[in-house]
Amino acid sequence: MDLSVLERVKWLQQQQMVSPDFFEILGSDGREELKRVESYLGNNNDELQSFRHYETIDGCISRTSSFQIEQVKNNEENRVIALQHKRKTEGKTEKIENKKKKKIKTEDETESSMKGKSNMSNSETSSEIQKRDYIHVRARRGEATDRHSLAERARREKLSKKMKCLQDIVPGCNKVTGKAGMLDEIINYVQSLQQQVEFLSMKLSVLNPELEYHINELSTKQFQACFTDLPEAVSKQLMMVDASSFPLQHQESLDYSVINSIQTTTLGSKDQTSSGWEIHSQSLYNNLRTDSVSSFFSLE
Amino acid sequence: MASANKPINTDVPEKDVFALHFLQSLSNLRRQNTFNSPEKTNDRVKKIKKVAYVSMARAAGGTNRLWSRALLRRAAKENNKVVRFPRRKKRVTCLRRRRSNRRDPVEEEEAERLRNLVPGGGGMEISKLMEETAHYIKCLSMQVKVMQCLVDGLAPK
Repeated sequence: MDLSVLERVKWLQQQQMVSPDFFEILGSDGREELKRVESYLGNNNDELQSFRHYETIDGCISRTSSFQIEQVKNNEENRVIALQHKRKTEGKTEKIENKKKKKIKTEDETESSMKGKSNMSNSETSSEIQKRDYIHVRARRGEATDRHSLAERARREKLSKKMKCLQDIVPGCNKVTGKAGMLDEIINYVQSLQQQVEFLSMKLSVLNPELEYHINELSTKQFQACFTDLPEAVSKQLMMVDASSFPLQHQESLDYSVINSIQTTTLGSKDQTSSGWEIHSQSLYNNLRTDSVSSFFSLE
Repeated sequence: MASANKPINTDVPEKDVFALHFLQSLSNLRRQNTFNSPEKTNDRVKKIKKVAYVSMARAAGGTNRLWSRALLRRAAKENNKVVRFPRRKKRVTCLRRRRSNRRDPVEEEEAERLRNLVPGGGGMEISKLMEETAHYIKCLSMQVKVMQCLVDGLAPK
């Protein structure tokens, strides 16, 4: 949508109907968009002219039509492949996959050959052949078509999908290829994370007794800095829900200095909450959002 | 096995949930009188570590994830407590071990190492192990972030 509007503007500018001041209004983002459009369309004026008549719809049309073309193509491909295999395997009985309930079930009558390529990702395209809840695996040309190897192939693909998932999570996995290397990387990463937890817990155990000293060093500036970006009402309620679902037994352990110091600072538009825990939790929430933990932790 | 198009769910709650759980348990820990003694740092370290893992397990999955359940069960066993998990619907976990020799020995070796690292990985097949590892890694990194924040906040100025 945006593209079409910008195209129109660009065209108008080229027709010298729009003053260059318009681009000031657009702002830098708009100008970048325009540059993108320009590079995409080329500086060909004729193309812009052709776009003129189909401004609002052309983007949509191009998108949808390409999708449909893809669909049709896939169907055709499937049919072609089916025909090929038909010619190849004339003697064998053909059973379409959607008649099978489960792919791996050992049924005696399903001694059929499976054809085509694996459709696990394109289950939407050829609707007359497939239903939604089946795994449709088709054997490629020249590959074994018995049930075991197909199942194995399905399993391997599932595994590779999960490995890809892991690859996104673990940093630095892109350079290594192959399952073994990636597994090595993953193992190293998990080990390093666990070591980090241990190290940080060591640090915490050292710092823990010093908590009491930090309370007096509270600065009001930190408080205000924390409370300026207040959570919205919704998140505040969520926080309340969270707090209430985990009943705390140590509400009375909140230091009185906490409550005093909170009351001395201006809380802005935040409601004055009565219970100390709510204040505590809200400050927790704020601090975690802004990653500045020092002040709230000294509240404890 | 029927629907393979379901995307793998590795959602992890926000940092706040982790921090909440961790701080809760930390403050509980601090109330113990034996905890604040200046000696016996090793004990403190171990306790804090255990607290970190337990709070992470609670924050992340509760009892919905296999690794969190295994972690909680392990921790409870150490305290000689009995943990009762709600009985989940029995899923078809007994996959047919086919006669095919697809158990790649190299892969299995690595998977064995992974199983030792990830809690609860002993009885899982490789595909399930991968899912659990992904979720575990995400939760671990979140926990590490929370702890790092805490330590930074507490560092002497």
